[in-house]
Amino acid sequence: MNRALFSDLALYRRLIVLQMRAQLQYRANLLIDIATYLAVTGLEFVALLILFGSFPRLGDWTVGQVALLYGVSSFGFGLAEMIGAGIDGFNQTILRGEFDRLLVRPVGAFIQVVGSDFRLRRLGRITQGIAAIAVSLHLLPGIHWTIAQVLVLSAGIASTAAIFLSVLLLGATICFWTVETTELTNILTYGGCYMLSYPLSIYGRPLQRFFLFVVPLAFGGYAPVCYVLGRPLALGLPGQIALAAPAVAALFALVSAAFWRLGVRHYQSTGS
Amino acid sequence: MIVPHTPAGSTALRFYVEVARTAYRRQLIYRWANIAGLCTNAFFAAIGSYVVVALFRVRASAGGYHLAETVQYIWLLQALTMPVLPFGWMDLMLTIRSGDVVSDLSKPCDFYWYWAGREIGRSLYFLAFRALPTYVLGMVLFGIGLPSQPDRWLLFVASAILAATLGIAYRFLYNIAAFWVVEARAVATMAHQIALFCTGMIIPVAFFPSWLRAITGWLPFNALMNLPAEFFLGKVPGSQVAFELSRQAVWVLALTLIARRVAAIAARRVVVQGG
Repeated sequence: MNRALFSDLALYRRLIVLQMRAQLQYRANLLIDIATYLAVTGLEFVALLILFGSFPRLGDWTVGQVALLYGVSSFGFGLAEMIGAGIDGFNQTILRGEFDRLLVRPVGAFIQVVGSDFRLRRLGRITQGIAAIAVSLHLLPGIHWTIAQVLVLSAGIASTAAIFLSVLLLGATICFWTVETTELTNILTYGGCYMLSYPLSIYGRPLQRFFLFVVPLAFGGYAPVCYVLGRPLALGLPGQIALAAPAVAALFALVSAAFWRLGVRHYQSTGS
Repeated sequence: MIVPHTPAGSTALRFYVEVARTAYRRQLIYRWANIAGLCTNAFFAAIGSYVVVALFRVRASAGGYHLAETVQYIWLLQALTMPVLPFGWMDLMLTIRSGDVVSDLSKPCDFYWYWAGREIGRSLYFLAFRALPTYVLGMVLFGIGLPSQPDRWLLFVASAILAATLGIAYRFLYNIAAFWVVEARAVATMAHQIALFCTGMIIPVAFFPSWLRAITGWLPFNALMNLPAEFFLGKVPGSQVAFELSRQAVWVLALTLIARRVAAIAARRVVVQGG
């Protein structure tokens, strides 16, 4: 079991290094892509700052606090987009019947799918997320950072990325039945990132519950940020749930992994 | 160089109407994709609405807009975006990449009006099956209303038609860049995002600082979605109506002429490979 895991990880590393080398061959193109993506996502962050020119606060959140939330959400989503590009493009693998080829190889299908793509250009959104966090730290000089807070926030970003990756995997798994990915996955990925950039407390109860207990994205961004800022949580939840973010993300990842395995077992080629 | 024979008069018009009708019908097939897209539009509009509801808790009005008007603005723009400025439209660019553009260039019709015809058909489809349902969802979910003044409707419809025409010229332009630029996808993404930002899709133009409004007011983007929305909400003072509409019409004319000119230059450059 352990040996299989290690050899999978070694294989993944090799696949990713290959992908990076290939993308770095076209350095100028890659830089243009990263810069474009940074500009596109950066414009959205600038829009947020402009909004706070007209309004002093969002509910009882200040611009710096929202910027922190925004940065954590973007950073986590950017990581997921970069790592999960292969999962995101999985419908093409199914559509072209290439999944058959993956299955006859003597390594796990999942590792081949994740290793099939790694989008360096997604560094654009990650850079935007980091910049947003930097802006928020500049606007929030009052936070006295403890090691616990730094750890909770970092774990939050990693959990956000893990949950977004699991969402991508769920969307990919649906392709086993539908062949096409539905645009509905976009609601949870792009829509989820957009939504989680603002405090959960401003949304209606059903939406809050959905993003806490069904697709637990709020555990990755909202709860850790509230913990760091010392703010009360929506739905009267205790602030300590921020500490549970990695466990919740792991649980959600396990559920989507189980669904993936079910999908692989169900797979019946596209034929022709 | 390819110089197709171009029919004139009513035959030509019938042809373009048929092109539009075909594009409309082709779009009808993607029923589930449209429903998924509708959910996406509604989701984004709902999130935007929740954000402004929270913002307006500390201020009664901003940039001359009250809460109800702002929510209406958000849903209207979300409704207009598919007919006016559809996300990820790279159809023309892909034909340039694959070389299929040659077959379109050699068709006995005007290259620009051929694509415009297709896009008019698609816009009409999205007006009926995306824009209207999106706005109706806004009425159901957030209780937004409709203007009761007939003059607002008249100005809105006129401005929206101009806006859709302008949108076609604009996306034709950034797609045709693929003839010259290798990174055409980056150009298209950037061009689309700048237009979205300047026309109030990311945040309403009313909340821009005044210096930024002064700039965007003179850019073509303002005429894409912000202007029709301002007519819809009755935000354009009577003395400004003629000026705003003519400014929009000038942009439509200018961008269409530029797009046609660039298309003509591009067609002269095309070298057909192979036999």
